[in-house]
Amino acid sequence: MLKTFFSNWKRRIVQFISLGLIGEWSFYGIFRCPFAVPYIGCGNCPVIQCPGRSLWLWSWILIGGSVLVFGRAFCGWICPGGLVSEILSMGSFLKSKLKKRVSAGLAYGKYFVLVLALYFFFLAQNPRWAIPIRTGDFFKSVGLTVEHADPVWIYKILFVLAALGLSLAVPMFWCRFLCPTGGAIEILSRFSLFGFLKNARCSDCDQCRHRCHLETRPSEINCVQCGDCKESCKPNAIEWKSPLAPWRNPDTNFGSGQARSANKPHFL
Amino acid sequence: MAKDRLNRRAFLKAGSLALGASIFTGASAFAGGFTNKTLQAWSCGGLAEAFQPANHAFEQKTGAAIAYTGAFAGALGKSLLSGTAETEVFAPRVLELARKLRAQGKMRWFEPLCFTRYVVATPKGNPAGIEGIADLSRDDVRTALAPDASPPGGKASLIIMEKAGVVEKARKNAVQSGDCVQTAMTTLADGKADAAVIELRISRLPCFAGRLEILPIPEKYIPPAPVPFTIGMMKWAKNLDLAEAFIEYILSEKSQRFFEAAGFIHARSSEGRRLTHKYGVTDA
Ligand code: SF4
Ligand code: SF4
Ligand code: SF4
Repeated sequence: MLKTFFSNWKRRIVQFISLGLIGEWSFYGIFRCPFAVPYIGCGNCPVIQCPGRSLWLWSWILIGGSVLVFGRAFCGWICPGGLVSEILSMGSFLKSKLKKRVSAGLAYGKYFVLVLALYFFFLAQNPRWAIPIRTGDFFKSVGLTVEHADPVWIYKILFVLAALGLSLAVPMFWCRFLCPTGGAIEILSRFSLFGFLKNARCSDCDQCRHRCHLETRPSEINCVQCGDCKESCKPNAIEWKSPLAPWRNPDTNFGSGQARSANKPHFL
Repeated sequence: MAKDRLNRRAFLKAGSLALGASIFTGASAFAGGFTNKTLQAWSCGGLAEAFQPANHAFEQKTGAAIAYTGAFAGALGKSLLSGTAETEVFAPRVLELARKLRAQGKMRWFEPLCFTRYVVATPKGNPAGIEGIADLSRDDVRTALAPDASPPGGKASLIIMEKAGVVEKARKNAVQSGDCVQTAMTTLADGKADAAVIELRISRLPCFAGRLEILPIPEKYIPPAPVPFTIGMMKWAKNLDLAEAFIEYILSEKSQRFFEAAGFIHARSSEGRRLTHKYGVTDA
């Protein structure tokens, strides 16, 4: 299991470095952020200790840029939430058990959560659902936050934790089905310059899907451009290409055996 | 309790002697005295910008570590009153809270610490030409409010506007009316509103530095409850000497600059002494 986990060691190194850089912010966002939508109202946040106050602007600019170039690679290479989900998913007991149609249907959940988040951020002015513990020991502050939070804040946290925890049953549950950031990135990644694509040699054997921790295939919904599946493809049908320039990739498979949309980062 | 006070006086006396000696020797009065000792100190979150550098200076001076929490004093006070949490030193806003903790025997004693100031804030350059709080009733003045912010933050501003007879217009002309003072102030600093009633401390936050202009508000409009802050020794203080030394440091002239810089009037300044008297901030 560990061998598989570290097989794409370059990705793991990048993930652990980014865990060191933005992992603390992720924890603050989940456990101490007083706002309905964390990570984006950081510019005038009262939680002095949260690293997000200094990180948020550049982080979002870089994420936006990375999406336009590499699609959902942020999820596969950078996001600490993705790494945690992957670690939890190592023990999933419902691996490959979810029907493709069910999985595809549940994947719309993240757009629903995204719409909710956009509503709270833009229309409801990102309400504060908890008392901000401006500074203090992390765990004691979490305790105080929970003690004095509006129940809706507690439900939100329980929802996120439960969805993350569900990775123990269904691999990458939160990332595949509910994460609003993943949803937003998935939409934008339609316009990305590069990504892993299947070419005409693809025989639909689904070996890549079996290898994929998100149970998908290159450029299909939820593909996070991790590249883990590349070696699993016997006909060597997985390539790093530009989905925006299929004419430059004559091998790209838009015909036999799969819909043209299969090679687009489709979400609709 | 009386014993605590006596101990405290004795300590202060010893402290002043040590301080005097240190002036001659050039050494710190407490230097190294509390190395590896930890003190848990809580304060109203609004004081965090003053406490953080003051704590740091105290730590450097004494070698002690201050485990500091700054949050809405009402919430911290509730935890302390209900017994779900403990701390060794507590600096709450609202005199009543300190008195309640004293009455319950959870606070041994307290001293006046500082006072907040309410002001009218405008964006840099004061584009609407606001001259005072009365102008908040002008039809063309857009206001930014945060009535639902943790009390007394938002509510105190409304009371001030009410006393000044401008609250109705201010509410009507509000371009923002949410639950976060800092969000409202961003609207103001961005020039999307013309005026707001805020605590001076908000204008001193790094994110607003140099982006707002400040006009005073006559004291008669300011409700007394949110103005005074106190600092007290809790019954849970494990090392009384350390707790005393910390409180005395926070109340010392050396700490005054941190509080003034963060927008407060320190209790030991001459204005602070006047306000201590005015608001009756005594540990009775
Ligand atoms: S800086 Fe504030 S708003 Fe941003 S994630 Fe941290 S706690 Fe939340
Ligand atoms: S889906 Fe969300 S939590 Fe998962 S890796 Fe992407 S951004 Fe992170
Ligand atoms: S399909 Fe391949 S590249 Fe995409 S997420 Fe799965 S393993 Fe990674």
